[in-house]
Amino acid sequence: MDPLFLILWSGFAATMAGVGALLGTRRFPLAGRGLGWANASAAGLMLGVGYAVLSAGQALVPAAAFLGAIAGLLLMGLVDAAPRAPLITQLPGASEWVLASGLHSAIEGIAIGAAATLGAPFGNFLIATFAVHNVSEGAVLGATLVESGWRRPHAALVTTGARALQPLAAVLILEVTGATPAAEPWLLGAAFGALLYLIIAEMLPDAYRQAGRTSIAAVVSLAAGVVALLSRGAR
Amino acid sequence: MTAAAATHASLQLVFLCALITAIATGLGALPFLFVKKLSPRRAAQANALAAGLMLGASLGLLHEGVAAGAGQTFLGAGLGVGFIVITQRLLGDHEPEFGRISGADARRMLLMVVVMTVHSFAEGVAVGVSFGGGMALAITITVALAIHNIPEGLAITAVLRPRGISLLACAGWSVFSSLPQPIMAIPAYLLVEQVRGALPYGLGFAAGAMVYMVLVELLPEAYGEIAGRQIAMLVGLTTVAMLMFQQYI
Repeated sequence: MDPLFLILWSGFAATMAGVGALLGTRRFPLAGRGLGWANASAAGLMLGVGYAVLSAGQALVPAAAFLGAIAGLLLMGLVDAAPRAPLITQLPGASEWVLASGLHSAIEGIAIGAAATLGAPFGNFLIATFAVHNVSEGAVLGATLVESGWRRPHAALVTTGARALQPLAAVLILEVTGATPAAEPWLLGAAFGALLYLIIAEMLPDAYRQAGRTSIAAVVSLAAGVVALLSRGAR
Repeated sequence: MTAAAATHASLQLVFLCALITAIATGLGALPFLFVKKLSPRRAAQANALAAGLMLGASLGLLHEGVAAGAGQTFLGAGLGVGFIVITQRLLGDHEPEFGRISGADARRMLLMVVVMTVHSFAEGVAVGVSFGGGMALAITITVALAIHNIPEGLAITAVLRPRGISLLACAGWSVFSSLPQPIMAIPAYLLVEQVRGALPYGLGFAAGAMVYMVLVELLPEAYGEIAGRQIAMLVGLTTVAMLMFQQYI
């Protein structure tokens, strides 16, 4: 995948967080079946891409891919716990949430970069899913900032800025895997771990609330199946 | 020994090996010997554990299925999802009972046992087909599958035990869920070439049914009791553990 295209396309996905912050703080109804299905489609696409990146990592060095997956999971867990850490809660003006969102998006960027190493279709799929995911992430962060006294446009700008680590990390990972092939199975595994964490910790709970378990299970299965089927020629 | 007798002896061996793999599934209930009482929170953790084990098993099945035929595997997966949707509808129209338990819990337990039983058909085929590749391969596959079945028994027990099913019954249902293995192993061995072509459909079917079961039953129930972060960590780590188990055992 071309690095310039990667940074532009994933940069666009990052700006969707700002859109989410504007909509969310205006109390736009960020709920309902449509959004639930969009979240479920994104979760399914992520699961399909996760399967593809893990398979590719397993084909290179299985142990590295598995350890990378565990590292990806633990990293996401740590970042999620960060805003509640004693040192970070002392930061002023809800900035602990901005910091956590930035770290979070950097790890998501690792997943995007790893998927992009498999080829443009995987990078494109994953960036599209993050564009959807970023809307709801931005809505939550935006609402938190506004409640802490930030003005709405500023909250939207800061939210987008925090997400800017996503494209930067993606390009960095694409370049690192190009220059250091030994890192590739680790990063592919880490991408799987991070994606699985995101799907289960963040995307599915929202989706179930928005559209009910049966339709969500069907949409996730279908989307994951389509991407996994397309992935057979990835490596 | 006549050729017919030799074939007969081989069929006995195929059956015995597949039966051993089925019995091994009951060992999955053993860790619950040490868990005396299950609070709703522990039950949710058990659901997350079962979800991770099933997700890991499904990814492993997809991996094998795709190697044998990607299109067939994913068609099979679609059929597996459809099978669970229809089974759910059928169970929803009645008031199912599972032992002394009825209602939603009984439906969930029945689905779990049905899904795991159906998925065992593909594994029985794998045992039978492996005998077509020689004794060394067959023994290797039998031992691997017997060990592989233990976490599947754990997944079944993790769903049944918190709902009041006795440990012995959990072990019994775990073994029951693997009985298709000895049943399918013999026809698979006798019709090895024909069956080999159908294997990716079966692997896909099992994977699709299990993933759908995880998404429609196990995860939503777990979200009701514990935080998404904890579920993600439990599911993620058990998924990776199951994948490592399948890779190296």
